[in-house]
Amino acid sequence: MSDYRAAIAPPDETPDAARPAQDLVLVTTPAMRARRHPWAIVGVWAWQAALALVASWPAGSLARAAYGGDPRGDAVLWDAGGHALLDALWHDSHGVSVVMRAGGFALAAGIVVGLVPAAALMFAMAYATRERGRAGAARSLAAAVGAFGAFAVLLVAFGVLQGIVVGAGAGVARWAEHMAHPSMGEAHAELLEGAVGLLFVVGASVLGVVHDMARAAVVRFQVSGLRGFALGARAFRSAPVRLWWSWAWRTGAAAAPVAAAAAAASAMGGRGGAALALLALLHQAVVASRIALRASWLGVPLRTVDVALARPSA
Amino acid sequence: MMPAVRPPASLALIAVAAHFAIEPAVPQPLRTAEPLPEAPVVPPSPPAAAPAAADDTRVPEHADDVVDYTLRVTLDPVAHTVHGEGTIAWRNASTRPVREMWLHLYLNAFKNERSVFLRERVGGRGSEPPEDWGWIDVRRLALKEAGGPSVDLWPRAELRRPGDDDETDARVPLPREVAPGETIALEVAFDDKLPTVIERTGYRGTFHMVGQWFPKIARVESDGTFAHFPFHHLSEFYSDFGSYDVTLDVPDGYVVGATGTTVESRVGGGRRVERHVQSDVHDFAWTAWDRWQKQAERVGDVDVALLYPPGFAAVAEREMATLRFALPYFSTHYGRYPYRVLTVVHPQQDASEAGGMEYPTLITSGGAWYTPAAVLAPEIVTIHELGHQWFYGLVATNELAWPFLDEGLNQFAEADGMSAWRREGSAADLAGLTIADASLDAVGGNMGVHDEPVAQAASAFTSGANYARLVYARTAAIVETLARVYGRESTLRALGRYARRFRFAHPGPDQFLDTFGEVLGPRVERTLRAALFEKGWVDYVVDGAWSQMARRAGGVFDRAPGDTASDGADAGANERVRVEPGEADGATWENTVALRRRGTLSFPVDIELTFADGTTRRELWDGEGEYKRISWSGPVALRSAVVDPDDRVMLDYNLENNRASVEGGGGGAPRTLERATYWMQLALQAVSP
Repeated sequence: MSDYRAAIAPPDETPDAARPAQDLVLVTTPAMRARRHPWAIVGVWAWQAALALVASWPAGSLARAAYGGDPRGDAVLWDAGGHALLDALWHDSHGVSVVMRAGGFALAAGIVVGLVPAAALMFAMAYATRERGRAGAARSLAAAVGAFGAFAVLLVAFGVLQGIVVGAGAGVARWAEHMAHPSMGEAHAELLEGAVGLLFVVGASVLGVVHDMARAAVVRFQVSGLRGFALGARAFRSAPVRLWWSWAWRTGAAAAPVAAAAAAASAMGGRGGAALALLALLHQAVVASRIALRASWLGVPLRTVDVALARPSA
Repeated sequence: MMPAVRPPASLALIAVAAHFAIEPAVPQPLRTAEPLPEAPVVPPSPPAAAPAAADDTRVPEHADDVVDYTLRVTLDPVAHTVHGEGTIAWRNASTRPVREMWLHLYLNAFKNERSVFLRERVGGRGSEPPEDWGWIDVRRLALKEAGGPSVDLWPRAELRRPGDDDETDARVPLPREVAPGETIALEVAFDDKLPTVIERTGYRGTFHMVGQWFPKIARVESDGTFAHFPFHHLSEFYSDFGSYDVTLDVPDGYVVGATGTTVESRVGGGRRVERHVQSDVHDFAWTAWDRWQKQAERVGDVDVALLYPPGFAAVAEREMATLRFALPYFSTHYGRYPYRVLTVVHPQQDASEAGGMEYPTLITSGGAWYTPAAVLAPEIVTIHELGHQWFYGLVATNELAWPFLDEGLNQFAEADGMSAWRREGSAADLAGLTIADASLDAVGGNMGVHDEPVAQAASAFTSGANYARLVYARTAAIVETLARVYGRESTLRALGRYARRFRFAHPGPDQFLDTFGEVLGPRVERTLRAALFEKGWVDYVVDGAWSQMARRAGGVFDRAPGDTASDGADAGANERVRVEPGEADGATWENTVALRRRGTLSFPVDIELTFADGTTRRELWDGEGEYKRISWSGPVALRSAVVDPDDRVMLDYNLENNRASVEGGGGGAPRTLERATYWMQLALQAVSP
């Protein structure tokens, strides 16, 4: 706690020095790091786990109704050759359709409602109380709810922009393939299509980075979504390559535990009991590590915005 | 030919999950109140990697040569035309004199939208008209009489029937009778305009796949009738065996692939001329493209040439690997591949309708250059089309009348071959989740089983989807079930005997059924007939499983002197006594399992009983009756019962009702819930910005 108090920044006199709550103050720029807030990361994990569990319950119920009576339970569904699985997907196609739709709704809800825990994580990293150190879950969540409107505006704005870029990329890539097909042949033309499409995907990822910069501006300066957009873009211009790379390597690294868990799951086979419990723990560790990497990245925009826009001398 | 839509394939793509193995069960003695059948008679049936008894000595070396084509053809790759001329020697192989001939002009299927082919909108590939029409114009068909002038028969030919614009089935009156055994010589000249690629043939840019391209005499049956038919959308072909001597003239720079052995090749004057010769075949197809890459390899005693587009080398290698396994495998089981050459043509995806097709000594495969190794589509297409060299090429069944005899049996050969090669992941192997080719057939076949019979003409099917489900998948699942229930080696021996005995012989369903009955017995023959001709189906069900502690029975009992009542006391006189139910004795369980067989097919099946102490016991049900109840007393409580636990009856309509448990006896679904939750978390992270 004493360390944390030391990280509280001196009073900020800049015009944008609004606070999410009277008892919250900014921490110093170097203190805006995810590793100082493991419980915030746990909180985001809990949110995602709870939502996923609720959304997955229909799938589990469907499998239980179909194969729960087997002495091996739903292990039958995952037998080699996939006969039972294919049979179930056919016989229970309506149920599967409901499960998929429920999952889709859960994801849609997760995108919107998930803005609150994401914002809370950023508030937790950026603010503290003078009395008790860390802002705490209640204050962070309250601040996040207050910023929901701005985050939602940013979500829509960047969603539209990224959609335009990806859509345009698909069109341009398809056009490039079409033009190159007669001379290059199918395989090489499709490679070209992929390369062109990749450029636009990178462009969309840059927009994603700017999106996070804008969110950081909203958290740091308590501004509207549109103002955050402008401030985030300005902060991004201060070090675009470094910022994008900082995002990219973490995103790439986040794929590694998924691959490792898939290999481990395959090697462990379908045993139930303790093996299944171990696998569940492994999976949750993967999820938590990915959240930690994401949180680690979100600290970067917070620090960048803080330095580039408010405390250039810090 | 591969079906355009393979029904359960999309399901397989959905099924991306981890794989879970089975924990071994421990057998336990079972005390039964009634005699239970002896030990299972169902033999273990791992995929047959070991060859069944090969007996090539009984395989005929050559076909009965009925028709010989000697043609010289020239390709104009700019106009996409083929000019052909030459001679046809045809022998009346029937027992009757004939006064007419029938010619198939199947390129006319793509001449207009009034062709039978394009009128039959049943879904699948070839359903849309080509961007550029195609047709064949016969310029001359003249009968050469020894010592006399040639008589052009074509002016009297009837291309169309009244009220029908289809021009794929032409009747040619003859000026005189052709006696049984007599051979006539015909001079022929024709011009093809190729369509853009549609259903096996056509062009795309400079790529040309040339099939169904020459005037082809329909097969004459023994009674003197011609097995002629228009080009139906779902149908393939039926022809007499003979020899083909075809000289192909294409621009220099083009690479040619064709049926038969290349006996001559020269380049000059800006043209490449190749002469291809093959006997004992009943069709001829070829391709020419200025971009073909070529991989050549000798597999056994067969020279394999694989033609593929630039950038497709990886997929081509996968197809060659398939052939390295499958050529000897099929030769072992179904008789030696009798030709010296095999050409595999892999079209680009923009000409995919030219892919997935079989011709004698030439097959076309397909698939994108980036097809992941986990998805075995190139391997499956290749092995499927190779299998057609036997189940189409060598047995030469009537593909219109009995498509299950070529596509269906070949689909089994494909799935069996893939299983022998790639085991349980024979269709897909996605990070531990394996999908077997045979599983796709089983589920796909059940999708259409109640709609229409398997054994009917291709043109009789109501939709392309049902054709794929029943002709391909259902037939394969039927034979696969026989292999799993009665033994794979026996089943392969039966199919191999059929393929060997009827090589070059144009067999029908009776020959197929007789051979299976001969090897596997009359019950199998009856089962096959019901499954193929009568929409036969089966669904094994565990109606219920019960277990309760034994106890003294309560109620009112009439007792006579000498009777021993349920309370153990002897009666001294006639009397009516009331007995209270006893307490459970704590040592004996009364167990009951009720089983049901729905449907018209039957197979012997295992029943696996699992007990409270974790042990299991197998019993056999002959599967003949419609209902079976098993009751017994024993020291251990029953927990659950599973019918067909080894998944032998691939025709089982519903696997979910194959099991039942007493209260709390099931294993639940923790794996699915755990996996679904994890995947949902990952999805949430992917979409949550």
